[in-house]
Amino acid sequence: MARAKIKRGSTAVDMTPMCDVAFLLLTFFILAAQFKPQEAVEVVTPSSVSNKVAPEKDFLNVTISKDNKVYLNMDPKIKEDVLDELGKERNMSFSAQDKKNFEMADFVAVPLNQLKQFLALTPEQVKSSIASLPGIPVDSANNELKAWISAAINARMGEQLNFLIKGDDAVKYPTFKAVIDAFKANDQYKYNLVTNAKQVPEGSELYKKNLMEQRTGKKE
Amino acid sequence: MAEMEVKESSKKGPGVKKSKKHSTRVDLTPMVDLGFLLITFFIFTTTVQQPTAMNLNMPKDTKDPKLDMPVKQSGSLTLMLGKGNVIYYYFGNDPTKMQTTGYKAVRQIILDKKKSTPAADLFIIIKPDKDATYKNAVDILDEMDINDIGKYAMVDPTPEEYGLIQKTEQAGGVK
Repeated sequence: MARAKIKRGSTAVDMTPMCDVAFLLLTFFILAAQFKPQEAVEVVTPSSVSNKVAPEKDFLNVTISKDNKVYLNMDPKIKEDVLDELGKERNMSFSAQDKKNFEMADFVAVPLNQLKQFLALTPEQVKSSIASLPGIPVDSANNELKAWISAAINARMGEQLNFLIKGDDAVKYPTFKAVIDAFKANDQYKYNLVTNAKQVPEGSELYKKNLMEQRTGKKE
Repeated sequence: MAEMEVKESSKKGPGVKKSKKHSTRVDLTPMVDLGFLLITFFIFTTTVQQPTAMNLNMPKDTKDPKLDMPVKQSGSLTLMLGKGNVIYYYFGNDPTKMQTTGYKAVRQIILDKKKSTPAADLFIIIKPDKDATYKNAVDILDEMDINDIGKYAMVDPTPEEYGLIQKTEQAGGVK
């Protein structure tokens, strides 16, 4: 019987398939990743221990920039209805072009009387003039945010709408309160504050509670 | 790494030309390293960016005094958020006895109060003043979550309290 010859194996491993896999994965991740659109208004959000993901559907987002200006944006799906409703409530008429512009616009950053001029701006113009845009008035004398919120609620006709409030760290409390008041005036009391996730501090009450829930498997 | 040189020619010195036959195979190990490094990088950067939302439920404003919730003096702790990330706090309803603290130390104060008060009586009143920031408000609401405080309210400080805060701020030189 011929003895099988033991070949002296080389320790070199062919790295080509591994390389293929690595780059395939890399390509996949890059293509699958959803890029965050460039935000026109830069906002540094505070952090909280909340682990709930911010809703991405049916939202009405009030952004407060660090110079205490209020911007509004919303789910593109509801935009048309909201503008119609706003026109009805405020006796304003919007042309088809206005509506199209509104759907293209990332956010609203001006009082209602300047809305049409604002909508006519190109995105580049908006970007370059962002610092000079006045924002939506929220002071108690002329709280236009109230009108927007009311239009959005009526446009949704009772369907669920998520109110997101995205404030910068440096926003002064009175501005935030004015925004809350605008919601309250429309009988809306539940908000989602957009924050960055933060670890629950170890040993704190919430930490212990979460641990207990994990052990017993029940959730309140 | 993966390729081990079995035969190593020891004769090579500086300036000696290699006379080895060149193989067409390229060592792909560094390329694989690079690929996985990039994958790791992308994974880490994408997952972290997910914004979260903190729920905030506000009560309905009411003018009806019958609906006002009575708060036991012995169980109340008032936290007033002032300028420059400073918290002024007092127990019961005597704002003149207020003390100063910061956002790190406040947790211990809340916990001490929680321990020394029956759970049903404990009530924390948060009063952000005009100079407090949104971050301050979110931080303190977060603190309520962290310390598992069931009952708290967010209201405006009274003019008297605001005056006291301003006096303290002027005395302490807080800008």
